[in-house]
Amino acid sequence: MGRDTRRSRMIIIVLLVVAFTLITIDYRSSERSSGVRGALREAFGGVEGAVSTVTRPIGRTLSALAHPNRYQKRADALAAENAELRRRLAEDEEVRRQAAALSSLRLLADRGEYTIIPARVVAIGDITGTDWTVTINAGSADGIAPDRLVINNDGLVGTVLTATAHTAVVRLVSSPASHVGARLENTRLLGAVTGRGTSGSLTFTLYDATLQVKTGDRLVTFGSVDYAGGVPIGVVTKVLDSGGGLSHSAEVTTFAALGSLDLVGVVVGRPATDPGDRLLPPRPIPPPTAAPPAATPSRPPATASPSPGLPVRISPTATLAPAARTSTG
Amino acid sequence: MWDTGTRAAEPRGRIVVVTVAVMAVLIVLQVSVIAALRLPLGSPDIVLVVLCFVALCQGPVTGAVVGFSVGVLADLLSTHVLGQTAMVFSLVGYGVGLVGEETDRSAYLPLAVAAAASALGTAGHAAMAGIIGQPSLTGTQTLLRALGAALYALVLTPVVFPLVTAGLRRLHREQM
Repeated sequence: MGRDTRRSRMIIIVLLVVAFTLITIDYRSSERSSGVRGALREAFGGVEGAVSTVTRPIGRTLSALAHPNRYQKRADALAAENAELRRRLAEDEEVRRQAAALSSLRLLADRGEYTIIPARVVAIGDITGTDWTVTINAGSADGIAPDRLVINNDGLVGTVLTATAHTAVVRLVSSPASHVGARLENTRLLGAVTGRGTSGSLTFTLYDATLQVKTGDRLVTFGSVDYAGGVPIGVVTKVLDSGGGLSHSAEVTTFAALGSLDLVGVVVGRPATDPGDRLLPPRPIPPPTAAPPAATPSRPPATASPSPGLPVRISPTATLAPAARTSTG
Repeated sequence: MWDTGTRAAEPRGRIVVVTVAVMAVLIVLQVSVIAALRLPLGSPDIVLVVLCFVALCQGPVTGAVVGFSVGVLADLLSTHVLGQTAMVFSLVGYGVGLVGEETDRSAYLPLAVAAAASALGTAGHAAMAGIIGQPSLTGTQTLLRALGAALYALVLTPVVFPLVTAGLRRLHREQM
């Protein structure tokens, strides 16, 4: 036994040293999509795409079958036909849902005059759960390049981290490693949003520390050489007190529900001019007793909103904010 | 349930290769199916649970080697630093293997070990990310996820443990 223990100890030490060497070597390289990694990811991405294509309708069929009669033992023709019809219904519903998601994504992209490449999420994160990323089923062959913005029909989702030929890894805005330039609605006040490591919640920091952020302020991307401008990010839900009374950072709830992503669009082309604030959903009309709002009549009518059911609350209790529905990431 | 044929002190090549191949499938299952279920409190970590049972039945050496190989594979498929998962997984495999060697085998051991290893593994991943300088979870979140992983491991064990032991038994039989 003593020899055995010594030997197994040797082996674990060797393995740990190798792991540590790998970490040291890989730590400095920022390249995450070439060589073995690229090839592996390409292969696994294909499998992941196939697996999620197969399992997505099955999950929906299962939920459609969750019915009191499910334990009935009569395996007769009627029951089989019933199941078949339910399956078709679930499939139809899935197709309709996809079509609706795609068209509202198109609506948002059209308002910003962006060129987008639609893609679906085929894998979420990695097995350790420490990567705030999703894998999508479109890659450099479709025109996707690193640093492009990724949106869904509600707003900003993340940026492309790496792209192989047919898959791409998207870093979600909720990742602590994500930094996206942001601008307050109706102003040119600049700042950056960073992930907090929780789904759907970001930190916004104004560059100019003398200016104040208010609850209910909404943010769009600022736009730079890499990023398209004007993409809705989220709404300020809490002003973080920095202690000195000057609050220039705030907690932001994203418009996009990052915990339940399915159809996304990668912004690959954008207009020459910044689309401004016109992609933000229209503010709800306040009751007549309230103070007159800073109305912007130039906004598109409410019917063009991707999600008319998601009003942006101006009150501090913005519990209905879209991303609040999901707690896991 | 515990009997998987001969007790292997040596890491048998065939077992390592087959286990790692199965794990590759489980990795896809983990990121494409289980993660898409959007369960509360993180998600069940099927890869870690299976690794844990293989190590429990096969001892520390096989546990560490399988953990390392699966970890490297997972690292290659992720966007974080190479070696990060490999380190955590080889430690988990080794530790669980030692526990399997030192303690008496009972029906509760797989449950306890799977829950503990899942919690420690989840916390280990977060800690490694933090040490490397790319923190991705807050402390509270790490605790919640570790707790969630442990609870899900308890749920998975009654199903997964018999499957793993049956698979290992079969591999041993083929080898003889």
